[in-house]
Amino acid sequence: MEHVDHILIVDDDREIRELVGNYLKKNGLRTTVVADGRQMRAFLETTPVDLIVLDIMMPGDDGLLLCRELRAGKHKATPVLMLTARNDETDRIIGLEMGADDYLVKPFAARELLARINAVLRRTRMLPPNLVITESGRLLAFGRWRLDTSARHLLDQDGTMVALSGAEYRLLRVFLDHPQRVLNRDQLLNLTQGRDADLFDRSIDLLVSRLRQRLLDDAREPAYIKTVRSEGYVFSLPVEVLGAPS
Amino acid sequence: MNLALHWPRTLASRLSLIFLIGLILAQALSFGAQYYERYESAKNTMLGNLETDVSTSLAILDRLPANERASWLQRLERTNYGYLLNEGSPGTPMAPSDVPIAVPSIQDAIGHEYPLTFTDIPGPKKHFQAHLKLKDGSPVTIDVRPAMVPLSPWLPAVLLGQLALLIACTWLAVRIAIRPLTRLAQAVETLDPNTHAVHLDEKGPTEVAYAARAFNAMQARIAAYLKERMQLLAAISHDLQTPITRMKLRAEFMDDSSEKDKLWNDLGEMEHLVREGVAYARSIHGATEESRRTDLDSFLDSLVFDYQDMGKDVQLGGKSAAVIDTRPHALRRVLVNLVDNALKFAGAAELWVETKADGSLSVKVMDRGPGIAEEQLAQVMQPFYRVENSRNRSTGGTGLGLAIAQQLALAIGGSLTLSNRVDGGLCAELRLPKPQ
Repeated sequence: MEHVDHILIVDDDREIRELVGNYLKKNGLRTTVVADGRQMRAFLETTPVDLIVLDIMMPGDDGLLLCRELRAGKHKATPVLMLTARNDETDRIIGLEMGADDYLVKPFAARELLARINAVLRRTRMLPPNLVITESGRLLAFGRWRLDTSARHLLDQDGTMVALSGAEYRLLRVFLDHPQRVLNRDQLLNLTQGRDADLFDRSIDLLVSRLRQRLLDDAREPAYIKTVRSEGYVFSLPVEVLGAPS
Repeated sequence: MNLALHWPRTLASRLSLIFLIGLILAQALSFGAQYYERYESAKNTMLGNLETDVSTSLAILDRLPANERASWLQRLERTNYGYLLNEGSPGTPMAPSDVPIAVPSIQDAIGHEYPLTFTDIPGPKKHFQAHLKLKDGSPVTIDVRPAMVPLSPWLPAVLLGQLALLIACTWLAVRIAIRPLTRLAQAVETLDPNTHAVHLDEKGPTEVAYAARAFNAMQARIAAYLKERMQLLAAISHDLQTPITRMKLRAEFMDDSSEKDKLWNDLGEMEHLVREGVAYARSIHGATEESRRTDLDSFLDSLVFDYQDMGKDVQLGGKSAAVIDTRPHALRRVLVNLVDNALKFAGAAELWVETKADGSLSVKVMDRGPGIAEEQLAQVMQPFYRVENSRNRSTGGTGLGLAIAQQLALAIGGSLTLSNRVDGGLCAELRLPKPQ
């Protein structure tokens, strides 16, 4: 029998969790809905799930706390998608720092949630295990740069922030998750598309050249992203995972 | 001459003027009184001396043999008067109204023994003579040149010293009185409850401490009102999010129809309004984000690329080569709001960044849209204000975008100004302070 992804939805609003559950069910996923952290823990005791949709604002234990708890326990590999009521960058960053894989701001459209769930599932499955390492670190160091993965920008040696566009960040992230491995254009396209698939249609070559500019990398003799003729690109430096950004 | 025209503008100069004039007048008055008193007592002593001296001198002259008199004149000579053994110089008879004070004294001293005639000798200085005949009939003239006892040479220096002291004290007093007021005015001017409050020192003189306390209390009240407003907006917005989420989810179960699309659009509008409301409340109150060193060019680059990746026509020109200390999310929000506005009304946006001559930075967001009527340029920054004759309503604006942009621009130490471009379209210019 084909594997059907099992999604656990944790939200204190009965109607929302049931509507979400029904929508996902209608779209071919298995769903379970629970109202709070207590029920979530009880359910996870007996049944493993493929992904957890977690509301942040809940009475009792809130979503951030539960997420941290999940990451610390035996479910640390289970992807978590946060629902937040606040469209606030700091919330997003805190959510990601607590170990969420993605987040969605309320009010959201159910089809958007479905797309994000699929993207997260695809990403966690496609990526080799070394992603887990980078996922837990908030700061990735390479060459003279550091990448802050929660705030999604680069830091140079002086700690000056160098901003990245969404596409640039995703591409750089793919390279850093696969250091010193040759990736062809199809792989890069697949891995970078993630959740904004329909919005992103730039060619990988253009993106790579933009990213090189951002890293102040010389295109003729690149130190970071090297071109492998007829194959693709390779990120040629080792990547070190550091703790939280200062 | 109109007095009001010459009344100085500043309180400090007004107070100084009043103090100085008052003190100088008082000083002059007391100096005058003293001088008069001194003059009177000097005069009395002098005239007393004069009487005895004149009568003694004349008695001596009278009793001396006529040939010895001339040799005595030297000894009888005084500073202001002397004796001549002749008829004296020609002069005019003295007017009775203008008799020098020495005249009655001389009259009193010797008038009963010798008949006297007085004549005035014309000249630049006061000079008169008294004519008489001694017992033997020879003429004697008393030659008088009255003069005040001269003032001490150090007196002007003392007066100047006093004046300097007066000015110094006035300056000090006015400064002490004005300084708390200036500080208060500065505090009020920079009052911004969003950032941390300026707490005035509640020490000092009673009135100053009172004003400082009142100011601090007022500041706390304003902060509380703002917080309340923010909480209210945030609470309403937050509580609306749950029902909107439910409605959106329900709408997705509906069959595709024009009704569903309409409902979907309405919900989208509501959602937008709610989000902007929260964003506005936060732009007023929330300074939660920390400031950090940011490379401005790459910041703008990434912003523009994000738009281009979404298929939007947004271009960036110019270069600043600046690293600034700013709150990146706030800055981004300002620019996103401006760019979104340009896209809404013109379908395209051009950004231009440059460093001004004074070192400040300018980021312009320009479009080729309809622009805004000059008289409405200031009003469009007000929250919930919409340009009436524009397509704004149909495009579903909340009227908060520019208000949020302006609030945040202020919060990051910059300023936002709107202007119409000469050749059509709107230009929104964000000015950021010179990097440290």
